[in-house]
Amino acid sequence: MDVQIVQGPGSSAARVTLSQGETCIAEGGSLIAMRGNLQVETATHQRKRSLMGGLKRLIGGESFFQNYYTASSGSGEVLLSATLPGDMVTIIPSPVAVIAEGGAFVTRSTNVEMDMSWQGLKSMFSGESLFWLRMAGNGPLVLSGFGAIYTIDVDGEYIVDTGHILAFEESLNFAISKAGSSWVASFLGGEGLVCKFSGRGKIWCQSHHAPAFGGLVGPLLRARP
Amino acid sequence: MVLLNLRVSEKATLGIVPWHYARNGGNSVDVKIQGSNAFKYLEFNLAPGEMVTVESGAMASMDAKVDLRNRFNGGLIKGLLRKFLGGESLFINDFSNPTDRPQRLFVTSSCPGDISAIELNGNSLCLEGGAYICSTPGVSLGMKWAGIASWIAGEGLFKLIVSGTGTAWFGGYGAFVERNVEGSYIVDSGHLVAYEPQIRLKTQLSSGIIGSFFSGEGFVTRLEGTGKVWLQSRSLSGLAGWLNPRL
Repeated sequence: MDVQIVQGPGSSAARVTLSQGETCIAEGGSLIAMRGNLQVETATHQRKRSLMGGLKRLIGGESFFQNYYTASSGSGEVLLSATLPGDMVTIIPSPVAVIAEGGAFVTRSTNVEMDMSWQGLKSMFSGESLFWLRMAGNGPLVLSGFGAIYTIDVDGEYIVDTGHILAFEESLNFAISKAGSSWVASFLGGEGLVCKFSGRGKIWCQSHHAPAFGGLVGPLLRARP
Repeated sequence: MVLLNLRVSEKATLGIVPWHYARNGGNSVDVKIQGSNAFKYLEFNLAPGEMVTVESGAMASMDAKVDLRNRFNGGLIKGLLRKFLGGESLFINDFSNPTDRPQRLFVTSSCPGDISAIELNGNSLCLEGGAYICSTPGVSLGMKWAGIASWIAGEGLFKLIVSGTGTAWFGGYGAFVERNVEGSYIVDSGHLVAYEPQIRLKTQLSSGIIGSFFSGEGFVTRLEGTGKVWLQSRSLSGLAGWLNPRL
């Protein structure tokens, strides 16, 4: 499975090339186009028609169903999109597993295992979903963000404002904290609660914050009659 | 809501401005404007002792050792005026580096779009509500009476004005188009981002009463004088106008 991110960073799409017999698992509703003799299967979890798997993903901010694209004879190509305008990133979550924000998932190879990750009640305050997705395995994983995506190598402590986290390596710890040295300053300054990462590892951040843009557009919209 | 005489293609190419050095009391701040026109953001590398003033809520991520202090946006009374009449925030934040090593700070805008820097050396620049992102020390934020006409056109009673010595960064929705105005220039009201203060603004109907209603332009702003203006290639009211019938 070979992934190429095309037309980034403004309006990116993932072009996935599959060799014969390979399968990629994609978020429901993300297909733009496909080529080759591809077999498409829709399942709730790991190809088992498991209700629990689907429900767990639903809680994690993903869709209930996922689509399995398999190149059954010869190679194939799948072109995948995300809902919001922005960039995509390809990550290989090995040897360190990656914890990803639920809505960011686009596609993964069958080598990458996806599971729910409970990061504690602090997630309630993180501005992200309560459950995260834990991705591990030696294969490509594609995530999408609202805006550009930049990576931060953390060695020590690093602060990310809530809503800007796309994913982080499992080797990092995160806690809900304040920006700067004072709680009052953090709140009065409009930053409020932030996520403080500590340890050693990588964070993928998105440059823009969808709820902030929504806050600008929302008041201009009319209530539905 | 699209004004026809904008030549957007001039600025529509994707480009990354590689390095931008900003004056900061004689020294330079290490900052890059990152991302494409569609999603620009600022990456500061604050040297020991350096500080930038940032609009409330615009910090995206930073090293944990960066310190944050807030103050009223130009004093309590002015801050309150600015919040309730100018659409700006009550507080602004000073992010500084109290350590002896460089510290990272990422700053972003609420809107997906362009970011530009203006070098101030005693001159000033008027900004539309929400356009201001951050500035170096030495830049002061003030208010300018915009007039009843501006308020009728939905653009607020006051305009933010940045002046002093240093650099200020401002952002918009979509790509920026820079224009030098001589004489008069007409802009659709939602597309104006920034203009030099010697330019006067007048709000008028785009054509006759009936024409204005049917052309979709409604109110337009007539700019008069000589100076530079920054326009944005998209407008939020345009997006809302497209979304509303689909809700």
